[in-house]
Amino acid sequence: MSNSHLFMKSGFVRAPLQNGVGRYVPQLQRIVLKFCKTHGGSRGIRDFIEQDLVEFAKQNPSVVVYLKPRRHRSPVAVAEYLNGDRVWMSLHQKSHSEITKWIEVLRTQQGDVSATRLRKYQFTDHPSIQGPWTPFTFKDPELNVAQLPDPKFGANDRLPMTATDKLRIMFEKQKISEDNVKTGE
Amino acid sequence: MSAAKRVQQWATFARTWHIFDCKWQDPYLSANVIKKYLMGMHKPIYHPMNDCGDVVVCINSRDIALRGDDWRQRAYFHHTGYPGGASWTLAWEVHNKDPTMIIKKAVYRSMKGNLQRRHTMQRMLIYPGEEVPEDIMQNVTNQIRQLRPVPTRLDHIPEDEVKKYPKVMEYPEDYVLK
Repeated sequence: MSNSHLFMKSGFVRAPLQNGVGRYVPQLQRIVLKFCKTHGGSRGIRDFIEQDLVEFAKQNPSVVVYLKPRRHRSPVAVAEYLNGDRVWMSLHQKSHSEITKWIEVLRTQQGDVSATRLRKYQFTDHPSIQGPWTPFTFKDPELNVAQLPDPKFGANDRLPMTATDKLRIMFEKQKISEDNVKTGE
Repeated sequence: MSAAKRVQQWATFARTWHIFDCKWQDPYLSANVIKKYLMGMHKPIYHPMNDCGDVVVCINSRDIALRGDDWRQRAYFHHTGYPGGASWTLAWEVHNKDPTMIIKKAVYRSMKGNLQRRHTMQRMLIYPGEEVPEDIMQNVTNQIRQLRPVPTRLDHIPEDEVKKYPKVMEYPEDYVLK
C-alpha cells in the first residue's frame, strides 16, 4: 500500500454473509452498456452485443441489462451491486474476447472490490485458538528476576568459538589426560 | 467488546521497555537492531499502520566504537539556512560536545523518512553513562543483545588467572621486552 491509496475505502477480505453456502444471491443488480453505433472504439462491444448479450441476459435473469447507444462517445460499462456500489469501467478499444472476460468479472464480483484498500491480505473470524500473542509469550522467565543490564542477557551469544577459546579447551583436555596416564607402578 | 477481550487487547499492544548497552558497539550497525525494536518490527503483530513500537533505553553511549578512522574522517553536516551557513563537524568533535548525538543520528538515519520517524525517535532514550533515572529503570523488562563482544582489558583480569593461563614458552630471564 502506498500513500496515494490512503483516501480509498479500507476493508478486509471477506465474502458477504457467506454467500453461496445455502443458496447463491447474485450480487450484480444492473448493468448499463453505453456504446457508439459507428465509432471503431466500440467495435468490440458491438460484437459482444450482437453475439453474446441475449445469451447473457437469459442466463442471468436477476440482472437488469440496459443498452444506451450514444453518438461518438467511447464505450463504457456501469455495473450496480446489491450493496449499493457502482462500478464504472471504460471498454474503449477493447476486443470482443476482452469484453466477455470483463463482463464476467463485473457479474461475479461482490461490490466495488478494486476500489477497496485491503488493510490486510488475510482475514479470519477465529483469529487464534491458543490465544493472541502478547509481549510476554515465549519470554525467558529468568528475565523476571534479573537485574538489568546484565551481560548474561546483553552479550552476543551467537558468535562462533574463538581460536583462543579452542586452544584453551584443547589445553585443558591435555592436562586431564596427562593425569590419567596409567603407569606400571 | 467484553472485559476479557479488552484486557487481551491491552496485553497484546503493551509497550515493552528494552535496554541496550552501547559499550564497544558500532552505532551504525546497532542502529539497525535498535530500529526494529523502536518500530515494533520484532513482533508478530507488526503492521506499518498499527502502533506497536517499543521503548529502547540506550546506556553507555559515550563508549561507542566507530569503525576504522571514522572518529577523524566522518563529518556531520548542518546548515543554518542562511547563506554561508553550512558547517561540517567531525565525529570526535560531535562526540565531545554531546556523547548521545552519534547514536541518535545513526538510529534516525536508519529509519525511512516519513511522518512517523520523529515520533518513533521520541521513544528512544539515550544516556552517556551507566546512570539511568530510577523511574525509567523500573520499566525495563528486557535487554537487547549486543552485536560485538565487549573486550576485557588485561589489567582488569585478576592476576592469578593471568598467571594460570597456558603458555607455549617462557621468556629467558635476560630477555628484554620492548
